[in-house]
Amino acid sequence: MIVEEENLKKIENYPYLSVEGLVTQFFTSGGIVKALDGVSFNIKKGEVMGLVGESGCGKSVTATSVMDLIPDPPGRIVKGKIIIDGFNIIGDINKLAKIKVKSEKNVIIKRNRKLIKRHNFILSKIRGRTISMIFQEPSLSLNPVMSVGKQIMEPILLHNRIEISNSIIRRETITKEQIRTFYTEALKIKDAMERRKYVNQWTNMFGVAESQDSILELFNSQASSDQIERDLENFLFGEIEGTNLRVIEKVRDYYKTQEELFKLHTTLLMAEENADSELIEKISMEIRNLQRKSNKELFGFKITYKFLRKRIDIPYVKEARRRALELLKLVNIAGAERVIDSYPHELSGGMQQRVMIAMALSSKPKILIADEPTTALDVTTQAQILELIKELKIVTGTSILFITHDLGVVAEMCDKIGIMYAGNLVEEAPVNDIFYNPKHPYTIGLLKSIPRSDVKRGDILESIPGSVPNLITPPSGCRFHPRCSFKMDICETNKPKLVELDDNKNQKVACFLFSREVESSE
Amino acid sequence: MELRYFVLRRVLLLIPTLAGLLILVFALFMSLPHSLLELSLFPGIPHNAALEEAQGAQILGLPYTLNGVYHPGLPLPLQFGKYVVRLFQGNWGYMTVPIYSGSVIGAITTFFPNTAQLVIIASILAIVISIPLGTFIGARPNTISDHVGRIFTFIGYAIPAFVLGTFLLAIFSKGGIIPIFPSANAFSASAIPNPPPSWMLSSGDLFITSPTHIVLVDSLLHGDLGLAWNTLMHTILPVLTLTYGLLAGIMRFIRAGMVDSARQEYVKTARSEGVPERIVIREHIRRNALIPTITVMGLIIASLLGGVVVVEEVFSYPGMGLLTVQAAVQTQVYGVLGTTLVFGLILVLANLIVDVIYALIDPRIRY
Amino acid sequence: MESPNLEKTMIQRKKHPKLQDYRFTLKLLGKNRLAAAGGVIVLVYFAIAVLDYVDPQYLQPYLNYILSGGSQAFYVPLGPGLSNGWAYIFGETEYNMPIFPYILAALKVDLTYTVFIVGSGALIGVVLGTISGYYGGYLDEVVMRITDIFFSVPTLVLALAIIFALQASSLLDIVYALIIIWWPTYARISRGQALSLKSMKYVEASTASGSSGLRNVFVHLMPNVLSPVMVQLSLDLGSVVGVFATLVFIGFMHLPNPYIPELGNIIVIGESEFTAVGAWWAVLFPGIFLFIFVIAVNLLGDGLRDVLDPKLRR
Ligand SMILES: Nc1ncnc2c1ncn2[C@@H]1O[C@H](COP(=O)(O)OP(=O)(O)OP(=O)(O)O)[C@@H](O)[C@H]1O
Ligand code: SF4
Ligand SMILES: [Mg+2]
Repeated sequence: MIVEEENLKKIENYPYLSVEGLVTQFFTSGGIVKALDGVSFNIKKGEVMGLVGESGCGKSVTATSVMDLIPDPPGRIVKGKIIIDGFNIIGDINKLAKIKVKSEKNVIIKRNRKLIKRHNFILSKIRGRTISMIFQEPSLSLNPVMSVGKQIMEPILLHNRIEISNSIIRRETITKEQIRTFYTEALKIKDAMERRKYVNQWTNMFGVAESQDSILELFNSQASSDQIERDLENFLFGEIEGTNLRVIEKVRDYYKTQEELFKLHTTLLMAEENADSELIEKISMEIRNLQRKSNKELFGFKITYKFLRKRIDIPYVKEARRRALELLKLVNIAGAERVIDSYPHELSGGMQQRVMIAMALSSKPKILIADEPTTALDVTTQAQILELIKELKIVTGTSILFITHDLGVVAEMCDKIGIMYAGNLVEEAPVNDIFYNPKHPYTIGLLKSIPRSDVKRGDILESIPGSVPNLITPPSGCRFHPRCSFKMDICETNKPKLVELDDNKNQKVACFLFSREVESSE
Repeated sequence: MELRYFVLRRVLLLIPTLAGLLILVFALFMSLPHSLLELSLFPGIPHNAALEEAQGAQILGLPYTLNGVYHPGLPLPLQFGKYVVRLFQGNWGYMTVPIYSGSVIGAITTFFPNTAQLVIIASILAIVISIPLGTFIGARPNTISDHVGRIFTFIGYAIPAFVLGTFLLAIFSKGGIIPIFPSANAFSASAIPNPPPSWMLSSGDLFITSPTHIVLVDSLLHGDLGLAWNTLMHTILPVLTLTYGLLAGIMRFIRAGMVDSARQEYVKTARSEGVPERIVIREHIRRNALIPTITVMGLIIASLLGGVVVVEEVFSYPGMGLLTVQAAVQTQVYGVLGTTLVFGLILVLANLIVDVIYALIDPRIRY
Repeated sequence: MESPNLEKTMIQRKKHPKLQDYRFTLKLLGKNRLAAAGGVIVLVYFAIAVLDYVDPQYLQPYLNYILSGGSQAFYVPLGPGLSNGWAYIFGETEYNMPIFPYILAALKVDLTYTVFIVGSGALIGVVLGTISGYYGGYLDEVVMRITDIFFSVPTLVLALAIIFALQASSLLDIVYALIIIWWPTYARISRGQALSLKSMKYVEASTASGSSGLRNVFVHLMPNVLSPVMVQLSLDLGSVVGVFATLVFIGFMHLPNPYIPELGNIIVIGESEFTAVGAWWAVLFPGIFLFIFVIAVNLLGDGLRDVLDPKLRR
């Protein structure tokens, strides 16, 4: 019993996302921009972490690094790990590209195109499915020449093929037995909400989610239960479209192979990281076998699929469109039926941002990164979007990395907050500790510079003296030292490490005032 | 707005453009010295009637017409009106040049199909090559393949058509190093069966084929493979010359567009949704990259049509371009004006098509 | 948000682009190796042309020979080689005329005319375009419709027609025709630029401070219109040289002397020699000189565009 509880705790504390010593740099003609300088943090299941800092401190770079979407050239992740669900998604950085720094302005990067290709393949299976992102500028982040519906359907069609295939097959091969069980199960549930939920689940599984309202209506009709059951049978058998199941099965097989390949590749990557030559050998064999097998079995199908893709995809597109519509309704877009066929320029900023959110949620990701999702919007819309994200978090249990420079928003949304300064995480603590017990001099300065109700009118807001440093030639040691009023000698030469406070394990600070621990830099 | 209405509005916009074109040609016409207009009447027989009519009118003190087109003495707008009416009646005047003698309209119907054949083949080839190639190099900027591709395009648009054409001609035609292609004409006279079949209308040594008037297509339709092959061989060098310039122009813009749109935020979004790289390039980057390419397509087509003139001159290929040049050399007023007008019409129509394609690709401009 | 001071400094900065700005541009251009190479080649070409003006003597003997129609007796032209002195390095063309001095003389003619064409076209276009963009309304409408008309006929065909209408009898007539054709491009570019700049803060600010319309156009808009015009100008140097040579190549003018030094003309002459006796060098070398210039100008233009693009200029 105790052991089990312990396990449960472990699972609950299991970090979905764990970032370790992330260093991201941009190699520009003006010099190397050291945008991130060793950022580490964890986000647990269902947790919302806020990331706060002045403009240019590296919040967006952190977010894009976590997605491994740093534009290359000019940027690259140079060091660190990003572990999502136990898997280091950025892989072996040094193998993907060798960076030779001759001087600040002369950097030679040798990329291993083959490995990068595999890397991209693996990432394309993770992005959008396990982790997805809402971007800062909704008006720039949607493809202007593609309809909104198509853009939402794209990730659905990419990531949910097997599921959709299964539900189509279930719908087409439904039996009286299954319908009876469904009916009796549904009858057992008395609570209307619960019953609705159950029906929703079942119809989704059987690919008839479109008709869930009609089915519920049937349940509520006054007819005898026998009659209802017969109506239900007629109705569900009527839903059978006579789709060619052999084709659907082939499509499913095809995507299953892809899935297996992806899993093998990730294992291979991990084996490579651990230099486990035996395992590498074994997995490479398996990959080759699988590829050979799929080439043999699916050869004909692949060719047909190439040419007849449009026709074969019809049932999938239909289902994806239904899901897209559902998502649009979920994010409270008015007139979803109309919006789905419109183009981004026809929508307002708030609607565009909702579309972005719908896209990001399309495959129920475990981790959601929201990069200032409300900055471009007006106050009312801002509040609605925040409300929406909060609700989604409760419903789906997604972990969220929430980026903003609005401390008020953070207080409302987040469980814990990370404060960033010039590419470093300088303090990380639960919301209350940040607001009522800030430790780092920068955090204190930042809090003083926001307008608060308890500050008398006419008092001048304090601001931190000096300005954000140039990240090409950042200050040595603690990057904050030129602006810090507590500066000591050690601050100029050494870099403080982000460590837990002695009296509060949840609060971490990187400042020599609290710990003398120095960040080692090899 | 729906696409239909966009197209309709665009077609209506043709009216002022065409009016402008007519004004331009009329202005050219009016700026010619009077002596030249009269001079140009004498070569060629059909003019005599017009000249007599004019002289008769002069004797009677009436505003006279020359060649049925020119009306000195009337107020300008009226002259313009009469000019336009004559054009619509099909009276474009007469011309006498080495490759043709007769009415301008007749010349155009004879030589336009040959030019169309060149332009269509060259366009198709250029598009089929430039889009995949441009996508390929645009997707990997600053790699070796990109450098090679860029040098290839640079050469393409830096080498004047007449230089390239002269070289190809000198190398590949009779007397050259690799004499595999013929050096002049659209097909050899010897390739035409004697007597000519019913689908070939002959007048002198000129032929018009039916139904499309394009020899290559018609000969294939009627199963005359010998003639088709012969025509093809005559077309290859001019088409290659045209294609290279056109291809380079399109590829340059596609590459630039690819590099530019790869930097955009929506590409990041697509990647963040797990869209595979191949599809990101094809559906997200390239579709957007085509937009700037299409906006300059009008200019590219204009230079293609200019290229046709040069290429036909270099290869002595009997088409609209050669007709234009010969008309100018032989001071054939009506020939020059007529061909200028036709080239203008082609360009205006091409621009219409380009705009419709633009609207198809970019939903933003339908408004 | 923005302080009035900031706006003021902005106006001043825009009004007098500092020398440093140009230096910066040159520096960036130097970094772009291809563009720098293009720039150097263009400079060399212009140096040759200028040298012709400064010291016409060094070509004179050859020119006299060329312009008098060369040797009237027919010899098979010499091939390229160094054995007969520098003038014969690229061999001979029709009437045993040495190609190299012929080309050098042609560069002077071609570049002079090209610069004249592009310069005048740009001047007319920029003035008309900026004014019509700034004042808008009726004037703008008329100017734009006129440019539309020019764009409705392919450049080369229009050039042919206009040259024909002018009854061209010298190279200068081609020059006039090309100026007539070339200004609309610049009118369009500068109009667009003027339109977008007009609405910007600093013009509004200076209008508010009471400067007159025309002054506005010339003091504030003109300098800012110039940067896209510069790009177009550099690219057009190439196109105009090409079109100019093409027009001479087509050769329907009734020139008093057929041996006028001009690249297109040299190629025409060489072509007949090529087909007659296989003198490939008579076409190749003038062709290469033309080709290299167009490439260099394009490289320079592309580089300029990148350098002057505010998006890329951090
Ligand atoms: N593509 C790039 N090339 C060069 N430097 C870059 C690039 N992208 C970001 N940087 C640099 O990285 C640093 C961090 O930028 P980032 O966009 O993360 O700031 P931010 O914290 O998100 O600011 P904001 O609140 O304004 O969004 C900046 O100094 C910026 O100059
Ligand atoms: S480490 Fe030193 S400089 Fe940095 S914040 Fe702490 S006291 Fe200030
Ligand atoms: Mg940001």
